Parts: sequence; C-alpha cells; structure tokens
Amino acid sequence: MGVMKALIRKELLLLLRDPHGLLLLFVMPAVFVLIMTFALQNQYAMSSDVHLDFYLLSEHDSGLSRAFARDLANTSPLNRVPTEAGWEEMQALAQADEVKFLVRIKPGFDDLLIQRQPAVEILFAPGTSPVFASVAEGRVMELLNRLYLRYRLASMPGVQSSLEAQGEDLLETRSLYDDSGAMPSSVQQNVPAWLLFAMFFIAVPLSTTLINERQQGTLLRLRSMGIGPVKLLAGKVVPYFVVNLVQVVVLFLIGLYLIPLLGGDKLTLGAHPEGLILVSVAASLAAVSYALLVAQITSTIEQATIVSGVFNIIMAALGGVMVPSFLMPETMQQIGSFSPMAWGLNGFFDILLRNGTVTDTLPEVGALLGFAALMLCLTVWRYRRRAAEHG
Amino acid sequence: MISIRQLEFSYSPAARPVLKGIDLEIPENALFGLLGPNGAGKTTLLSILAGLIPCPAGCLFVDGRDMSEADNRSAARLSLVPQEYAFYLPLTVRENLTFFAGVQGVPKAELGARIHEAAGQTGLEGRLDSRAGKLSGGLKRRLNLAIGLLNRPRLLLLDEPTVGIDPHSRHFILETIRQLGRNGTTVIYTSHYMEEVEELCDQIAIMDHGQILRKGTLTELLAEAPQNTRRRESTLESLFLDLTTRGLRD
Repeated sequence: MGVMKALIRKELLLLLRDPHGLLLLFVMPAVFVLIMTFALQNQYAMSSDVHLDFYLLSEHDSGLSRAFARDLANTSPLNRVPTEAGWEEMQALAQADEVKFLVRIKPGFDDLLIQRQPAVEILFAPGTSPVFASVAEGRVMELLNRLYLRYRLASMPGVQSSLEAQGEDLLETRSLYDDSGAMPSSVQQNVPAWLLFAMFFIAVPLSTTLINERQQGTLLRLRSMGIGPVKLLAGKVVPYFVVNLVQVVVLFLIGLYLIPLLGGDKLTLGAHPEGLILVSVAASLAAVSYALLVAQITSTIEQATIVSGVFNIIMAALGGVMVPSFLMPETMQQIGSFSPMAWGLNGFFDILLRNGTVTDTLPEVGALLGFAALMLCLTVWRYRRRAAEHG
Repeated sequence: MISIRQLEFSYSPAARPVLKGIDLEIPENALFGLLGPNGAGKTTLLSILAGLIPCPAGCLFVDGRDMSEADNRSAARLSLVPQEYAFYLPLTVRENLTFFAGVQGVPKAELGARIHEAAGQTGLEGRLDSRAGKLSGGLKRRLNLAIGLLNRPRLLLLDEPTVGIDPHSRHFILETIRQLGRNGTTVIYTSHYMEEVEELCDQIAIMDHGQILRKGTLTELLAEAPQNTRRRESTLESLFLDLTTRGLRD
C-alpha cells in the first residue's frame, strides 16, 4: 500500500467519522444556498413573479387623473390592490406591511401636472427595499411625464398616436448573457458564493486533524517513520482537494436540480462550463493551502476554529458572498477585491453570469494559484520552524 | 549495536546546549533504561535516535553505520513509541494498524499477517474492530505499542509506555517488552517508575542537565547508591535522587 494512499484514506475516514465536519462542509452550504436563493430571488429577477403592491387614493376626478390611475395599475411590476380604506387607514396598513407603497393623487391634479408641480404623493412602507422604491418612483415619474406630454401635444395632429405607444415598444432589450435569452438569477449568485464559503471552511476539520496529530504525538510518530513535510502536507492537500470537488458537485447539483424542483430558477452553466472546473480547482488549492497555514499558526483546536471562522467570514463579507459586490459602494468593492473569495466568485461569474470562456477566468485563476503558493510556502516555513523548535 | 560519541545538541546556536558530550554504548538485544528528571534531555536524546532531530555526522552509529545519513537510518529499522496515545481515536484498532503499516511501506500481501502479529503480541486480537477512542487506558497503551511493532523493529524506543494504566496492563506491557528483548529487539526505555526499570532493564543510564551522570548494570549502580532512609537499603531511586539533587523540577 502506497504511503500517499494510506494518508489519503486515513484523512477521508477521519472526516467521515466527524459529523460536525460534514455538517459544516455539506449541510451548512446547502442550507445557505437554498435559503439565500429563495430569499433574494426577487432582488435579482424583475420578472412577472415580482409584484410591488400599492394602494391608490384619488382626491381628484378628471380624465387625466383617471388615465393616470388606470395606466399605473397596468404598469409592471406595480400591482394596485383595491381598497375602500381612507388615507390614514392606508398608512396603517402600509405600516403593517400589507403593501409596499401608497400613491395619493392630490386635489387639483390636472393643474399641478401642467404647472410641473408635485401632483402625486408616494409613501413607502418601512420595509420596502431601496431597489423596489426606486423602481416604483421611476414608473410613477415616467407615467406623469407621459401624461404631461400627451396633454401638451394633444392638439397637434399626427403626434398623439405615437404618444399612445407603450414604452416597451420604443425600447429593445437584450442580454449579453447568452443567445437563449436566459437571464442571470439569484441562483447564479448564491450557488458559487456559498460554495466558496464552504470550500474555505475546510480549514476547520483540516486544522482540527492536524492539531490533534501534533498534540497527540501522531505527527512525531509519522516523522519518525520517515514521513517528511512534503508527504505529510500532500497527504492533507489531496484528500481535502477531493472533498472540495465533492462540494462543487453537490452544490452545483442543488442549483441544477433541487432548486428548480422547489420552484426556483435553474442554475445555468454558461456556454463554457469547463471554465468552472478550472476555477474550482484553483479555489480548492487556495482553500486547502489557507487551511494548512491556519493549522500551522495556531496551537489549539479552539484557536484554529476561531481564526478560520473569523477570517472566513471577513473574506466572505468583503468578497461578495454575503452581500453581492454590486450592492456595495465603490470603496468597499475595492477593499473586497483583495479577498480570495472575491477572486473565486469573479471566476465563477465569468462563466455563469458573463458567459465567458476559460481564458476570461485566467486572471482570477492566477490570483488564486498565487495565493495558494504563498500559503503553502508560509506553511512549509512554519512547519519546519516548529519542528526545529520542538523536535 | 548503538554507539553515541560526544553528542552535543542545542536547539539554536544561541541557546544553551540540551545535550553535552553524551557517550553511550548500548549492546545488541539490550533492555536499556534511560532515567532522568524532567528537562534532563531524555526526550531530545530519544528524538535524535528516532531521527526527528538531525544528528551531526560521526556522533551516532547503529551497527557501525552513521545515522546522519538517510539511507543508513532507513536500514536501521527503528521504531518510536511516544508517551502520548499517538494514533487516531476515531479509527478502529484495525484501521490504525492498517494506516501505520501502510505509511511504513508494508507490502499489501503482508499487511494482514503484520497486523495480526502486532495485535497478537499486545493482546489486541479480540479488539481489532473496536474504535480506538472507546478503549480503556491500558488497551490504548497496548495499541500504542502495537503500532511500534508493525515494522518488526530491531531498535524500539519507548517513552514512558506505562503511564497511567492499571497494574494488569502494566504487567502485560512489561512482559511484552521482555519478550521482545528475548526475541532480539534492542529496547531503549525511559520511565519515571524506578521499580519498572530495576525489574526490566539490564543496562541503565541516569542523565541530568544534558549529561550522562552514571551508566552501568543495575548491580553496578546499586553499589554506589546511598541507603534509602525509609527502606534502609540502596535503591535505584536513592541513587537517582542523590545524583539529580532532591529539588523539585518543573
């Protein structure tokens, strides 16, 4: 039996006998992917599934105000909820999250509109996201402008018919994603994001095993059997690399089959899925080397758990795992670009969101491999130093 | 068989030496006891013998071969049994033995036989499928020893192999070590239990502050030991206390 085979088999057996480790590496990311994909689905997909419910109160009755109310009710994704409630009661219902916002057509609507004065008031419910608020505001403003122009140009022959055209007819929308018309969705963000988070969490079981070996004298025994640092470290890298790849397969299968089964969007792999393999391999090498260094710079399992947990969460928060980078301000995005998880995520996005090729992932793959090489060098240096200090 | 000549060692050039001019000759098949208080340098000496710390050329020879050369070291077939339970508690006894045999390059065809041999020598045949973590302290000590026997060592380094176990297991382990000696294995044994060393070892060295203070057979050492005040006889313990001073050690 080869030395490497024995080391790999032992490591996998230890992981299989560690229910907490399995929970951390497989159950936690699977649960996160499911929860976050469905929780953020509406943030990504402005599809027919999204309804921005609102109440409308009209305090002015005219042809223009009726046209405004009718057109607003027909504007996607806004959804007028019929009600008999008065303004005060509407506000109470909005406070209770019954609708996202309220629209009040002010008395003297026609005059106010013609004089370019505020003719409509919008009140947002406390929990309405800024994205949804800006969508609602934009739709109302667009409608008011259209009504204003229609009123002004109504007397000009030949113009009115063109103003009746819907906005959608005047605008052609296309995605650079792919030719099939598929659009990036919440699942495209969440599967790679939580996958990377889980991959870097191998630092916990890996460092636990390594620290146990150090504390129990097993490492000493292995060294006395002629197992040098390269074999010892390779005996960790290879099995955890395999574990990382199993994580990749499991989470991608969840995105491809389980999430659609539960009513979510299907993960689409882009036109060059082979790029995903390259990014996965590079991210795994980065994660395993980082885990080895954590095990070398800490002395106890408690220290290793805290250090890896804290660093993982910081890397994830900055790297766009917990909060997508595009929602962050410019400065935070720049800081986040130093996180290895951001490199991995960008590599996955090159394929999953940007429909890129293997070549497009090379900068991120290079950064991850460079990080892995640095971590490995520091690990070997620390290992040798520790061995020299303690025999 | 083992020859140590003027061995000096310190962990860094600036640090004080841990071993100072060690000279020892350990004959083949000897059961050799190495005694010393904490911090005496026993563990460092064992680490050098086990190859954990590289030794300078010309200081350590086994069967005339210089152990500073890697090829000679692998040919020496030595085995270290650390004081700690140096195995994997979540694995079974069989899985542990299979793993440690595997990393020592035991051929697959011989694997089963080696495992049964080591388990047989340590009385673990009936516990091969038990999880190591569920074993009693005595059985864990025996597994620790069994792993050390997998490569059929010619030189066995035992670091306090009977710490914290019941008298029956202790007796069994001492008997196993005696049997190994009879079968041609050279054993270097460190312990804080003087009676064990008196009972087991035919050659003994007492060291402190990195130096060998006395060495010889039990009879030779007892000849110069002061009388134990309580038992009114010369014992290894009274000599040990006399040589290493009676002050408390860390």
